[in-house]
Amino acid sequence: MLRPIIARRKLLAFALLAFFLFYWIPFSHVFPGWGPFPLQFGSYRVFQATTIAMWAIVALGLNLLTGYNGQISLGHGAFVAVGGYTAAILMFDHGWPFWATIPVAGFMTGTVGFLVGVPALRLTGPYLAIATLALAISTPQILLKYEGLTHGSQGINVNSPPPPAVLDGVLNQTQWLYFLALVIAIIMTIIAWNIVRSRVGRAFVAIRDSEIAAQAMGISVPRFKTMAFAISAFFAGICGGVYVQVIGFVSPRSFDVLQSINYLTTIVVGGLASILGSILGAAVFVLVPEVNSLLEGLHLPAADQAPDVLYGASLILVMIFMPYGFAGFIRRVGRLQPPLVMQSFSDFFGQIGLRVRTARSVLPGGSGGASTPRKEGPRPDASDREKEDGSS
Amino acid sequence: MELFLQQVMTGLATGSVYGLVALAIVLIYRSTDVINFAQGEMAMFTTFFAWMLIDGSFLGFHIHPLHFWIAFALTLVFAATMGALLERIVIRPVEGRPILTIVIVTLGLFSIFNNLATWSWGGIPKAFPAPPEIHVTGITFFGDGALDIGPTVISYHDLTIMVVAVGIMLALYVFFQYTPIGLAMRGTAQNPVAARLMGIHVGNILTLGWALSALVGAVGGMMIAPLVLLQPPMMMGVLLYAFAAAVLGGMDSPPGAVVGGLTLGIVENLVGTYTTEEYLHVDWFGPEMKLTAALVVIVLVLLIRPTGLFGRRALRRV
Repeated sequence: MLRPIIARRKLLAFALLAFFLFYWIPFSHVFPGWGPFPLQFGSYRVFQATTIAMWAIVALGLNLLTGYNGQISLGHGAFVAVGGYTAAILMFDHGWPFWATIPVAGFMTGTVGFLVGVPALRLTGPYLAIATLALAISTPQILLKYEGLTHGSQGINVNSPPPPAVLDGVLNQTQWLYFLALVIAIIMTIIAWNIVRSRVGRAFVAIRDSEIAAQAMGISVPRFKTMAFAISAFFAGICGGVYVQVIGFVSPRSFDVLQSINYLTTIVVGGLASILGSILGAAVFVLVPEVNSLLEGLHLPAADQAPDVLYGASLILVMIFMPYGFAGFIRRVGRLQPPLVMQSFSDFFGQIGLRVRTARSVLPGGSGGASTPRKEGPRPDASDREKEDGSS
Repeated sequence: MELFLQQVMTGLATGSVYGLVALAIVLIYRSTDVINFAQGEMAMFTTFFAWMLIDGSFLGFHIHPLHFWIAFALTLVFAATMGALLERIVIRPVEGRPILTIVIVTLGLFSIFNNLATWSWGGIPKAFPAPPEIHVTGITFFGDGALDIGPTVISYHDLTIMVVAVGIMLALYVFFQYTPIGLAMRGTAQNPVAARLMGIHVGNILTLGWALSALVGAVGGMMIAPLVLLQPPMMMGVLLYAFAAAVLGGMDSPPGAVVGGLTLGIVENLVGTYTTEEYLHVDWFGPEMKLTAALVVIVLVLLIRPTGLFGRRALRRV
């Protein structure tokens, strides 16, 4: 009796999601008479949704590498740049059609990712983080220097593809780009979903949790670690390819260091080792500047920097009160367990020297789940493991 | 040869600053495994504090402008307090969480400090004074001049930077090797659990570590500010170099951070000098890629020694 009900509920959820993604977001602003209805998606909102889909692709890839495989990368901006430039050069200099450039961008970047992944085998923790950060720092300089290939600081202007003739009159440019990004993002999500639930994905997780144990079980650690890099870069390359179509422009300035750091922030805030987390993180990340306009509406005597200060503060608060990001938060709410927020809240005051009684023991789900938060969720970093000092 | 020595000297001076900030990073990493991305911005923020004291406009109030070294000392106190408070209020709640969580918290701090500084003091670069001249028995220290040391000259400010950096490093060495608190800090860095069993208050030691690190960073900030002008983004480049220096030397080795910083400073200056059109007749490389070159060197070093030049290999219990 139970199974069909769940299936029906799932089906309903999927139908609602599909309606929202494929109809409400792109078309709601053409409804006459809706007026100032708050959930109406104007043209700019459709563009924002496109951006979310785009960033979700790279976040998925980075999460496969960092969340599932435990290798930190601060250099994914470089991979997006490789993908973006591959697509742009093929379109601009060689006249390729746009649809052909996206997979080529992906495979090209995947190859680069493989080449980066091989030396990365020797590095862990902060050393890997800084080595990949070096990649992100050098990329704009390299792009500027080899202007014969990359057109230097002026960048490459590419015409965003117009809607195909069949859909002429049905979709405008913004909507067409939205559907393009959305469909690719969905395909990439399905790919990521399948990787995570396959032998490869389980090997990734096993390596993250203990390389030695994974090796003992017959997993080739170097093979899967470089594979994680290649797959992750493939995702970033696809994102780069889509980026070129959507923005219509690439320049060395499009891919600065901050971008790479932002990708990492995205997946940690969204939730490490979580498909949903990658997408949520991308959404949060694109929508954060919205706070800006909210603040402007309040007419506070604040300067332009206020939203950024708040952004920094909210990053800290999210990390303190939602240890496993938004995805972890939603997971617990979905399981009718109290979100870790209450637990973290009392922990927070306890740890800075104040004790507050919270009502966590009377919440449904009990304190049993809440008192062992560290058992759950990912342990994404290698240096988190027990370290011993060899010399003493 | 003169040019070469000149560049090495300049490299040593900037390298000392990289070394100081790298030292600050290593101090925190060693005891808590945290890579502090806010280190540079904390240093920038405290340097603004020093500037307010020297300039005589403290948060909009007019105060009596203080002498450089008095402001310097007060800033060190401010920096240490700020570091301790940050550890208590912001870092303590996420202690023991996955490393990436803590890294994101420090990125949040980065954003807060950077934008608070822009908010409070504006984005216009300000001249930060170099230490003023002092005359001791006829010999001039500090000031604008340059010291003639045989084949080359070295500006007093570069000299100040090096002297202050060496002073800080010696002080830290003595602190860690010969004081009970230093011993407690080393013990905590190696094995927090055993340290706690030996009666060390690990929490206080961690707070002290952050205070110390903020202090060292503040010295770095005040030393580099006269060279790069005081402005909110001034430490970004320095921070990247400092990270690279810390990694080059080994993230858990304070002497390594210093050696890494000096090496990087020299390499950066030499590459910047000798890859110009005048010396190098290729079009695929130039001085604008000196950062890339420095980073390539670091990655190559890491490939041979994955934990840096002086870093210890972390052995894992299975």
